[in-house]
Amino acid sequence: MATYQLNTSSDLIENPSPRCACMLVLDTSASMFGQPIRELNAGVQEFIASIKEDEMAACSVELGVITAGGRVTEQLPFTTAMNISQCRQFNATGLTPLGSAMKLALDRLEERTAAYRKAGVAYYQPWLVVISDGVPTDDWQAVAARARSLAQQRKMVVMPVGVEEADLDALGAFSTRPAKRLDGLKFREFFLWLSASMSRVSASASTTAQIKLPPTDGWDSI
Amino acid sequence: MALWGRVVTDALGKQRKLGKRLARGGEGEIFALQGRPDVIVKWYYPEVLDKRGDELHRKVEAMRELRDSDMTQDVCWPLIRVFDDRHRWIGFAMYRARGVKMGFLAHALLYERYFPNLDRRQIVGYLIRFIEIVQQLHRAGICIGDYNLNNVYCVPGSGQVTLIDCDSYQLRVAGTFYPCPVGSPDMTPKEHQGVAFRDIVRNPQSEAFSLAIVLFKCLMLGRHPYDIVGGDDPVRNLRRGNFAYGRGQRDVPEGAWYELWSELPEAIRDMFVTTFTEGANVPSRRATLAQWHAALETYRQQMDQGECARRLVKPGGPPSSGGRHVG
Repeated sequence: MATYQLNTSSDLIENPSPRCACMLVLDTSASMFGQPIRELNAGVQEFIASIKEDEMAACSVELGVITAGGRVTEQLPFTTAMNISQCRQFNATGLTPLGSAMKLALDRLEERTAAYRKAGVAYYQPWLVVISDGVPTDDWQAVAARARSLAQQRKMVVMPVGVEEADLDALGAFSTRPAKRLDGLKFREFFLWLSASMSRVSASASTTAQIKLPPTDGWDSI
Repeated sequence: MALWGRVVTDALGKQRKLGKRLARGGEGEIFALQGRPDVIVKWYYPEVLDKRGDELHRKVEAMRELRDSDMTQDVCWPLIRVFDDRHRWIGFAMYRARGVKMGFLAHALLYERYFPNLDRRQIVGYLIRFIEIVQQLHRAGICIGDYNLNNVYCVPGSGQVTLIDCDSYQLRVAGTFYPCPVGSPDMTPKEHQGVAFRDIVRNPQSEAFSLAIVLFKCLMLGRHPYDIVGGDDPVRNLRRGNFAYGRGQRDVPEGAWYELWSELPEAIRDMFVTTFTEGANVPSRRATLAQWHAALETYRQQMDQGECARRLVKPGGPPSSGGRHVG
């Protein structure tokens, strides 16, 4: 699990763009084996590629990835999209420690926004996207309450997405907005939507204004 | 919306075909016009037309009355009414701006890709031209209101500047007031914060404040005047006049930013300091457009005479090679 450390502190100094932190918490448990994990991997790759196509967004969006599959793994510490060169494929294995994964995600987001403030970098509301096809298999209620409260204070946008048989009630407990169910395995459509949303956020001249997001009908189902 | 190839008509019923979609905005989409590479069409979204189509139509008509030949050259002004195949008004045609968004110029990591060999003299040249266009609009009683670096196009290698998205401008025609219904808090002076944009009446002093932020962001390669180390968000700092540079020099962001700032002539630095500290609260303390114009002209002469450096200190190198891998 080698992570090549970049001098990220210099990035906060040299790049004047306001930042939009986007943390992906991905369920990579055994039930995702096969087609689902392949589609998820392809979706993440496409997400990175399409953000990099929009240069303003590539300077603005900082992506972090944490997986919950058997154990919690920080696959990518927050990195500005323009500095991400490639993304390894995730494997599906083990149970779903989503509670611990979300706790790590919230800790990392808090550290990152503190670093922005220290470096004098303006930032948009960070995004926390959580995608799961099941139920968390560890303790999750306390961290769900923490995430929900941050979303309520509008310190964070928490976007829960359920795949196939996911427990939408449990996922929805992490946010003030209800969990959406992915239509089939439309991970690519979801990530293209996410990338378009990130482009809209980073094109906005204001770090405090509300942004109108693109419609979600390309990937969600009722 | 698949509008490519759709036929639109002008007021005389002459038909034209739309080309490719060029941009999507908050209120509508911009299309090329087949056979006229110099002309583009703004087509408002159906829901926008349903809600306030009449109001938009009246405003665009008022703008067409105001046009003069200078203005239409420097600003993508509505020139021709456009109707759909059922003769409903859906937007207007205008000339297409050439160049690159000023947002790419005002960015330490991106400017070199779009503006090779950019130096301070060229930046100052674009800014002088930008101020002249705004002054020309002000003389016609028009305020920009929504200052946004992505609505200013600069042609690399020349001094040419063109403004786009002008249907949001504030104007007064024949006794009717048309507000600028959009904006962003980071560019809006304190006295207009917290008010719905459509209820604001912009004036020369509010314009001068927002314009000063544009000047600062360009001369400082993307820094906002109210980004502050350890401080609050830019809007809170703006409301408090919490400007880090200049007198006292507390909390300037790390890096070469202070160097960029200190290379500006003292007269210009003083104008920024006054505008962003006392001027945040007291509109009459803000430097006027005429004062900015004169100061930047002097600065350009000083660079021509070798009294000031033309070179840009570069706060960032190119993106680090190698990058970071996941896994």
